[in-house]
Amino acid sequence: MSVITRPFQRMTLAGKIIVPLLILGAVLTVLLLVAWEIGLIPWLIDIVADVVTSNIDIVRFIIAATAILLFTVPTAFVIIFMELKVIAFLASRIGPNRTGPWGILASTVAGFKVLAKEDYTPTGADAPVFTVAPIVTYLAAVLTLLVIPFAPGLVGYDMNIGLLYFFAVSGLSVVGLMMGGWASFNKYSLLGGLRAAAQIVSYELPLVLAPVGVIMLAGTLSLNGIVEHQSGWFWNWYVFQQPLAFIVFFIAATAEGNRTPFDLTEADSEIVAGFATEYSGMRFGFFFFAEYVGVFVLSALTTVLFFGGWNSPIDPRPILDFFNVSIGQTMNLANLDIWLLWALVIGVPLIIAAATFVIYTFNSSWGIIKSAVVAFILFNVFAISAVAIWAFISFEVVVGLFWFLLKAFTFAFVFVWMRGTLPRVRIDQLMGFAWKWLIEISLLNAFVTAGAILVVQQVTGS
Amino acid sequence: MKRRLEQVFADQFAAPVRQINDQTEIWVNAKDLPAVMTRLHDDEQFEFEILADLCGVDTGTEMWSVYHLWSPRSPDWLRVIVPSLKRDDPRVPSVTFIWPGAEWPEREAYDMFGIIYEGNRDLRRIYMPPDYTSFPLRKDFLLPDDASRSPGEGVRHVEQTHQPAENMRQPQIRMAPQLGDNQISTLSQLPEETEAPPA
Amino acid sequence: MTEVKTEVRSLDDPNIWVDTPATIYDAIPPYPPRTEREAEFYHLRDGEMLLNLGPQHPSTHGVLRVVLKIDGERVVDLDPVLGYLHRGVEKLCEVGDWHIAISQCDPLEYVASLFSEAMPVMAAEKLLDLQVPKRAQYIRTLVWELNRIASHGLFIGWLALDLGGLTPLLYGFIERDEIVEMLASLTGQRMLFNYLRIGGVNRDLNHDFLSRLGDWMSRAAVELEQETRLLNENEIFIRRTKGMGVMTPEMALRMRVTGPNLRAAGIPYDIRRAHPYAAYPDMEFDIPTRAEGDSYARYMLRVDEIRESIKIIDQCLHEMPDGPIMARIPRLIRIPPGRAFVAVESPRGEYACYAMSDGSDQPFRLRISDPSFWNLQSVGELVPGNLIADTMAVMASLDPVMGGVDK
Repeated sequence: MSVITRPFQRMTLAGKIIVPLLILGAVLTVLLLVAWEIGLIPWLIDIVADVVTSNIDIVRFIIAATAILLFTVPTAFVIIFMELKVIAFLASRIGPNRTGPWGILASTVAGFKVLAKEDYTPTGADAPVFTVAPIVTYLAAVLTLLVIPFAPGLVGYDMNIGLLYFFAVSGLSVVGLMMGGWASFNKYSLLGGLRAAAQIVSYELPLVLAPVGVIMLAGTLSLNGIVEHQSGWFWNWYVFQQPLAFIVFFIAATAEGNRTPFDLTEADSEIVAGFATEYSGMRFGFFFFAEYVGVFVLSALTTVLFFGGWNSPIDPRPILDFFNVSIGQTMNLANLDIWLLWALVIGVPLIIAAATFVIYTFNSSWGIIKSAVVAFILFNVFAISAVAIWAFISFEVVVGLFWFLLKAFTFAFVFVWMRGTLPRVRIDQLMGFAWKWLIEISLLNAFVTAGAILVVQQVTGS
Repeated sequence: MKRRLEQVFADQFAAPVRQINDQTEIWVNAKDLPAVMTRLHDDEQFEFEILADLCGVDTGTEMWSVYHLWSPRSPDWLRVIVPSLKRDDPRVPSVTFIWPGAEWPEREAYDMFGIIYEGNRDLRRIYMPPDYTSFPLRKDFLLPDDASRSPGEGVRHVEQTHQPAENMRQPQIRMAPQLGDNQISTLSQLPEETEAPPA
Repeated sequence: MTEVKTEVRSLDDPNIWVDTPATIYDAIPPYPPRTEREAEFYHLRDGEMLLNLGPQHPSTHGVLRVVLKIDGERVVDLDPVLGYLHRGVEKLCEVGDWHIAISQCDPLEYVASLFSEAMPVMAAEKLLDLQVPKRAQYIRTLVWELNRIASHGLFIGWLALDLGGLTPLLYGFIERDEIVEMLASLTGQRMLFNYLRIGGVNRDLNHDFLSRLGDWMSRAAVELEQETRLLNENEIFIRRTKGMGVMTPEMALRMRVTGPNLRAAGIPYDIRRAHPYAAYPDMEFDIPTRAEGDSYARYMLRVDEIRESIKIIDQCLHEMPDGPIMARIPRLIRIPPGRAFVAVESPRGEYACYAMSDGSDQPFRLRISDPSFWNLQSVGELVPGNLIADTMAVMASLDPVMGGVDK
């Protein structure tokens, strides 16, 4: 209680943030209840619905862009944390274990640290270009997410040339890297930027040529269409029809995302940090984020092209039919009345208090505060699990999202795994590998696929 | 080994061959050094193909340049001493024509003692900064002082004999401030003049 | 293209803006060339540029600065600039007595400091013509070989790190950490041991050390296999190191390279055999050599040397004699006048010392010859013609320690 009675000036920083938020939350709750009771909310909802329905395209785009921008941040944090932990595991270390349980907040805290750092422009740098470069790189990585189908119906914009759009936009990242490398007025940056240009331009070719077989099989450039072609059991996935294309594509994606063993653009033991040498603060953070968003995007694209996207590996329909279960919405939130809100406001504290009492009674060594904290955490765990299970069996979107994220993060893990295992290749080996092997293999794959399709069409007569 | 050395180089040694523990010691004048070293390296009965060490020594009155060699034909180290180099202008022929790897040690000896190895292609300071003017390992370099204000300024070294190239910037040699009266009394040899950088 | 700002704040007074010379951004020195070689190096032909590597750089193993003259990614020439870690150890040895010189020489080779601290000790013993007790000789041999393994373990990690592999560094550190902890229980220090004394060693073997050592020895060979397998069979690692920085035997002798780098070129020069000291005449071990002389040979040779070291440690432990660990000499000792040259085989090569005594209790001249210093200068022969990335790989495979290079 001393927290509340203490004057505002003498509070700790956490208190200065939390106490106003608590007061604000209480006031807003009261206002919301009052507004609901006098019928203000439905009136407002009507107006908003009118506006939304008349401008549905714009609203949809804004929501999709916002959601994707917001989505990139936790994704990047998760992949960074995964990288810290997995590489630590590979190297027989513990890894981050200070901030949060198992150190799960390590990458988040690092992100805030980057925000708080000094952001300077070196003397002699081309300041406008220097500032814009990380944004270009970051946006190039983020905008590609717009066409990735996360789940049935959950796609930012379902273009019929989605794959083409993807390669076009992801190719823009090299512009940002070159801008950063050139504008930094530093020779390491320049070398890094030029290496990035050479590398990404070279690996763009196999990256685009490898999925040509997939495109021919699916008959569409729309990523949604490609995923729908792979529905059913897991042997419908294109990785089993196009294994060579998958290998070429994954290697090229590693190079495209500047990941070890192809991370020559930021080879820290050679050219310090490449294009990012002179960057600090959040501008460096954008480069850093762009890399990890790029990892996720490339993992997602691998999943979509070769591993069935949001399709589950087993075909659920026969099983569901057997048990007479149908996936679909079983509970409509809109049907619930004001009682849901009251239940949340009154019921939740009651349940937590009851759990606290039980824990306090049966665990004599714990104080009331500790019991309350444990009860709160337990309640949250149960509540989240219950909601997740309900959502999983109710919505096809959630099932699709689950499988999609599982596959995508598996590939992100593979990227991290490779980083922990392999040394870096040299620039001439890198370029030679792209031009002497990958392009030829992907071209060969395209020809063989085309021939096979022709033969099958001749035989089946369709 | 001692006998063989005496036979071959009878007239080129400045002092008799000595045997100390596991080291054979020969004294060679500076002008005979290249011939002796070439013979020691190439002759089949010596085959001193590994240069174990190269260093300078300041005995307080004169400079030495000391080489240690190893050969599979002998169980001992061979020490070659080039004695009696003048303190104000020590000059020794370089051995980099046999061992190019002797370049850095010779630079080090030049840096620390001011011994000029004639024939070394890159005889410049290796440890101390380029605007440094004294030779730290000489015996008249007194340690308690700040190194940059030492009274032990020895030979004005070879760096200043070069004419600056026209496209190069002039050297920005930071001159040490003159020592004040509050300096400790043992360091009475104040530098007479502080030379301006070469024009 | 915007105009390049050339004014920066003065370091002395931040209110003053001074015109910066282009040399701030370029590695061209602001003074006239001192030698023809320097003039030739800093004269840039068409298409060439200078890249300043270090002294603050992730992979120069300390504070080495190398100016690379590059044409695109290809290194045309390079000029190592030393002295950023110069402490004047030789001068400091001359003003203290012989015992102080031990701890002055300790941090020279800070990765394997038992070798550098042996220099004044062995030189003084040779000047005194002192017979060190047999047990002390065996203990010295034992700790030297342990330190050699620790140093080579770190080398493997460094090489992999400079090639971009993150994990082998930590694998190398696992072994090194165990050995260093072991030596800490014997000497009291993890890094700069200060263990050897004129006439013997500081402390006798204790139970903690021996139990840790026995524990480690029982699995050392197996762990070595496990930890080097990640690199030995790695295609990228082999392609990055095989055929890189090839050193022919003639060149190795001319450049006066010693230690594993020389043996990797095929010349079996090892002071433990060429000029035996301590307990090495009693030991049975091989001198591994390799004929290729490239980075991969230098790496594999060190892995082989770790195996030989384990053999030597085993023999030391089995044949460890009883007896005193210090010769009977007075604590305040005057070394008789004379000249002495001693050399030991350190993990990097021939660690040699030339000592002159004038009969006082201080060394008259204590010249330390560090193998890193001699080995490092061969990068000038090995690197030109290769790519920037190989500069690091070749430099790491020579395994320099800047504490010893700069003295």
